[in-house]
Amino acid sequence: MADKSWLKTTLEIAVIVSASAVFGILWNRSLLADAWHGAPAAQAAPAAQQGEALPMPIGLAQLKELHDSGQAVLVDARSGASFAKEHIAGALSLPLEEATRQKTPQLKGVAKDAVIVAYCNGFSCHDSMELGKLLIKSGYGSVYVFEGGLPEWRDAGYPTTGGGR
Amino acid sequence: MKGMRSPILPLALRVALGAVFIYAAIPKIADPVAFAGSVAAYRILPYFWSYLTAAVLPFLELVCGVLLICGIRVRSGALIIGMLNLVFMVALASAMIRGLDIDCGCFRQDGSKTAPWVALVRDALFLLMTAVVLRHERLQARCPLPQSAPPPPVGE
Repeated sequence: MADKSWLKTTLEIAVIVSASAVFGILWNRSLLADAWHGAPAAQAAPAAQQGEALPMPIGLAQLKELHDSGQAVLVDARSGASFAKEHIAGALSLPLEEATRQKTPQLKGVAKDAVIVAYCNGFSCHDSMELGKLLIKSGYGSVYVFEGGLPEWRDAGYPTTGGGR
Repeated sequence: MKGMRSPILPLALRVALGAVFIYAAIPKIADPVAFAGSVAAYRILPYFWSYLTAAVLPFLELVCGVLLICGIRVRSGALIIGMLNLVFMVALASAMIRGLDIDCGCFRQDGSKTAPWVALVRDALFLLMTAVVLRHERLQARCPLPQSAPPPPVGE
């Protein structure tokens, strides 16, 4: 009797988990497809809730590829002092604070259709996401966020420049 | 033991637990990218799996929350919530051990930070609530409450 009850509960759990998984995957299918492919596509960042456009996430491997081929403009969302200390080689500095003041920040010499990757101080830092949103609002079409930020880049042994630590 | 037979406390805990999980699920469903960032911050799952978890987990929380509030398939819903809490606690403990200064990503995804140890204590409380709900369910299954007992045979 008890065995039957446990079997029924196990089946119910399997059904609940499977149904949630199917629904969640279908609901987020375009986000998952982008995360699966990783490489940025030549499309505008997806529209999100409340009409706000969010920058797409990008992984370390994809960023390294874009960095090495010079296909992306990296933008550092941290403070000017942090940027001067150390930043990803070739990145531009646009602190979130300054970008927020400007409201529609512009990157000098960067075309609106360029691939832009914002980063900051890793997963606990949300400045890159906020900067990415501002850049999209300013009319930049392909904006991505490297959530691992400088720590992940540095830990992977990839090139950084600056005054040193 | 007597308290466990009273339906008031387990009912209140069941509804509260369900409400908490629905409240936790909605902001994650609304902002899956931010939640994926929170999951990735634990540095446990590979890149794509952070997004898959961010896509599926909030819906599982939502479904279980609704089941608990509605009183449907309570044992299954509570067991899933219990297991989720255990997984969250292991992940939080691992983040604490590794010294990661991250937001737990439990509720709001607006960049505000809840320390891992606070989230760990909170999850332990939710686990305790789940245990009470499950115990009440088990007792009810073994020995239904008097109002649902069959009437005595006629002539006795």
